[in-house]
Amino acid sequence: MSEFIQYTLQGLAAGGFYALSALGLAVIFGVLGVVNFSHGACYMLGAVISAVLLAELHVGFWVALLVVPILMYGFGVLMERLLVRWLLALDPLYNFLLTFGLTLILVEAVKQRYGVSGLPYEIPAGLGGQVTIGSVNLSVYAIFACVFSVVVCVGVGLALTRTRIGMIVRAATEAPERTRALGINVGRWVTPVFGFGIALAGLAGVLAAPTRAITAEMGSNFIIVLFAVVVIGGLGSILGAVVAGFLVGLVEAYGIAYAPTYAQIVIFVLMALVVLVRPSGLFGREEIA
Amino acid sequence: MRSRTVQGSVAIAATASLALAACGGAGGPQSGGSSKLTDDKVVIGLLNDQSGVYKDLSGPNSKTAIELAIEDYKAKYGDKAVANTIEVVTADHQNKADIANSKAQEMYDRQKADIILDVPNSAAALAVATQAKNKKKLYINIGAGTTALTGASCNRYTFHWAYNTAVLARGTAGTITKEGGTSWNIVYPDYAFGQDMNKSFTKEVTGAGGSVGESIASPFPSDNFATFITKAGEGNPKVVGSMHAGGDLINFVKQFNQSPLKGKVQLAVGLMFITDIHSLGVDQFAGTQFTDAWYWNFDEQNKKWADRFKQKTNTRPSFAHAANYSAAMNYLEAVQTAGTDDADKVVGTLEGKKINDVFLRNGEIRKADHAVTHDVYLAKVKSSAPEEWDYEQIVKTIPAAEAYGEANPACSMS
Amino acid sequence: MSEQMTGKVDVDLAQPSVLSRRGPLRYVMLLGGLAVAVLLPYWIYPPVAMDILCWGLFAISVDLLLGFTGLLSFGHAAFWGGSAYCTGLIATHWGVPFPVAVLGGAVFSMVIAWPIGYLSVRRTGIYFAMVTLAFAQMLYFIANQARALTGGENGLQGIPKSFFAIEPVETDSFYFYYVGAALILLGVLLAWRVVNSPFGRVLTAVRDNPARARALGYDVERYKIKAFVISAGLAGLAGGVFAISHQFASLQELMWTTSGKVVLVTVLGGIGTLWGGLAGAGVVVSLEDYLASSGFEGIGLITGTIFVLIVLLFRHGIWGTGRNVLRRYVLDRRRRTRD
Repeated sequence: MSEFIQYTLQGLAAGGFYALSALGLAVIFGVLGVVNFSHGACYMLGAVISAVLLAELHVGFWVALLVVPILMYGFGVLMERLLVRWLLALDPLYNFLLTFGLTLILVEAVKQRYGVSGLPYEIPAGLGGQVTIGSVNLSVYAIFACVFSVVVCVGVGLALTRTRIGMIVRAATEAPERTRALGINVGRWVTPVFGFGIALAGLAGVLAAPTRAITAEMGSNFIIVLFAVVVIGGLGSILGAVVAGFLVGLVEAYGIAYAPTYAQIVIFVLMALVVLVRPSGLFGREEIA
Repeated sequence: MRSRTVQGSVAIAATASLALAACGGAGGPQSGGSSKLTDDKVVIGLLNDQSGVYKDLSGPNSKTAIELAIEDYKAKYGDKAVANTIEVVTADHQNKADIANSKAQEMYDRQKADIILDVPNSAAALAVATQAKNKKKLYINIGAGTTALTGASCNRYTFHWAYNTAVLARGTAGTITKEGGTSWNIVYPDYAFGQDMNKSFTKEVTGAGGSVGESIASPFPSDNFATFITKAGEGNPKVVGSMHAGGDLINFVKQFNQSPLKGKVQLAVGLMFITDIHSLGVDQFAGTQFTDAWYWNFDEQNKKWADRFKQKTNTRPSFAHAANYSAAMNYLEAVQTAGTDDADKVVGTLEGKKINDVFLRNGEIRKADHAVTHDVYLAKVKSSAPEEWDYEQIVKTIPAAEAYGEANPACSMS
Repeated sequence: MSEQMTGKVDVDLAQPSVLSRRGPLRYVMLLGGLAVAVLLPYWIYPPVAMDILCWGLFAISVDLLLGFTGLLSFGHAAFWGGSAYCTGLIATHWGVPFPVAVLGGAVFSMVIAWPIGYLSVRRTGIYFAMVTLAFAQMLYFIANQARALTGGENGLQGIPKSFFAIEPVETDSFYFYYVGAALILLGVLLAWRVVNSPFGRVLTAVRDNPARARALGYDVERYKIKAFVISAGLAGLAGGVFAISHQFASLQELMWTTSGKVVLVTVLGGIGTLWGGLAGAGVVVSLEDYLASSGFEGIGLITGTIFVLIVLLFRHGIWGTGRNVLRRYVLDRRRRTRD
């Protein structure tokens, strides 16, 4: 039993991280209808920037947690203004392809500048070590990352439901035409929302830096898993992305524990099942599919 | 039956260059044994990953290593001892076996490469072995670890210079077990390399009197090892073996360091390179034991060579750089001994050759399977680096015979 | 701003040719294309030339779905790689002449494509892309696990090139090219026939207005599945020839990056142009080959930038842009002669 609890906790810890990472993807799709392939690359940039800040400017984890999302927000705004904007009127496939090309550029650029073997990063002071209760133990950092992710997800959720901006964004997601008819300038929010989504990817990158290998390729496989997460949750559904994030984290942890050979594929089996039974995902709306 | 002239431009170009080469060759009175060379020059092809994960391990700096070999060779035997020109051509296989395959053919056919060196990534390495066999040209692999190169896929023209997965297992598993690390749990990535490593490690641990409690497969690639590390700690083993490589290994070690096992259980790593330590930082790996084929700060001879290498590249050499140097040097000497670059004759002089140089200690090119056997080292990561790249403390030299064992029975030289 | 939010569909769809069916210009172009295919190994190193044709047909198979049926498959590596392994196994174990093995591989691809197609075609747009990606990942996983068959990450090595004991073809990549090219051109011809058949018209109707096609009595799903299976067969044909040409099949062939690369090639060539796939493959493969020995380390920078530029500025791709220029010229001249 304690073993089961252990795996469950680990699954939840991983799930929180997936949820945060997928959140930005879901926000961007929800408002702009863009499937941002470069989300994995932005996540990578977040981690690389924190490593560079630490190595070259001695800027630590806590500051990076604040600074990196701001930098990535700026990057996102630039990306939207210079590239994504011009294709918004076209089929979503074009932005999917554009961001795919952009991913190649970003990954290669980081490789050129910072090499391929990866960058060092340390666990921030005070977050090392483990917590042990009975026979169950978790690393302090994993707990922190999970709690932090949940706080951010809840914060974003509250912002969307309780503030005026959030209301507009939600309205724009759900019924763009009607929102516009009510005299609200939806277009004004497109750029900030895109930047915000990219900032979330960067934040996930900072959070990953202490526990994962920081390499140019770190986002390349991650993005595929994130796609699975948002498809399971329902493209464009923010709640769906969060729930699916935890679901995928749990399924993966149980898969690893009880069927290690198939651990790699359970996520995709889950995704295929969800899409077949509920084409628009767990929380998605039918018309998007 | 087979008419070469149909190849049009290729044939014309080749003939033209032959004619030119012949004229040029006649001009020089003492061009050594070059009259027996196919094109009055020796061409060494370097085919490796110059943009991907193995870029730092070998990559572009291997070219520098080969050029050092040529420089030393010329200094030792004279500028024109083997040929008027010794040329190095390079290509980046980008870790794609299909590109490695096309480039290898192109090197042999068009760039007139007499030998291809390096080729990390096992699928690419084996594809090039097939081409070496087809084209009857030499191929010395350095960067790849697969035992298939000296096993099922071995052939007369292929040599495996630096290491293989079986050697790593014998070095790390055997030595640690004998020194008291008798109970193991192993985590391995679930693909052919990981499965092989797991098998060899288990065999070596039990062979040395130890026991492996659990072998846990992890998906490949993966960046979340928390659950595996928990499983690996069950049953209180003395040693946890990680068979991961590259980015996965770094993920594993980072997360191992955050687990309760850190400090209680010894971490042994199946395949690790100095570039991995460099990227993660020496303190994260501190105390980890692994087998290295060569270390730059092992003795004076290595150090001296590493200093020269640093002058040109501003970095310290990995084992792959030293091995590229050694392979190029020995190839040039073999061509000189044979008096020709004819691959069959060069193979004849290489087979069975005993070598002691900056890379190979007690080295021998084993005739039976073309594995180049030599002493390897059990290394322990230092807790702090006295200087950049000075990360390893050599705990033990593992003699060639012990590290390489018997010739691979799966190999039938044809 | 209003059009930003509507998600209007504007893929550069297949358009009927402006040239008359049996006009001289069309024959000139066909002959020109054939001449290029014949002369290619004189200009380009034969194994690379073979790669161009393989990737060309692979891109055509993707275009058949994307440009003519409106489905973006992001998992076509499953059929290319699945066939590569199957072709390799047939050639290795049964020693049959390689075209037979390649056909076997293509049939295998069609067999696995049927259930995958059956399950995925009910989704469209980005969902279809994701579902096909998921299936391709599963196949990748299976190939990685079944190392007894596939050799795991070492790949299936040393696939024989047997061809009726005709030595030049078996040993010389120059002669091999022509036999391989014949197989590829067979596939291209098939794709062309499909597109220009009544079946192909129904596909474009399904793409443009599925509701209307359904109302007219067409079983939309069935047409999509059929198109999917045919496309998989073409991808399989290409993958099989590729495996024989390189004498191995590796996991690379099944990786999602391969699916991504072929979409890149297709878009570069021009969506809905069919022939564009070959042009796109010509550019991408020869560029990769050139950069590999150029000493330039940032290959992704170049391919990525080209891709971004194409998507932003030349959405019709190489072929589409060329065709539009030609169309404008022809229509212009017609108008002038009429005046």
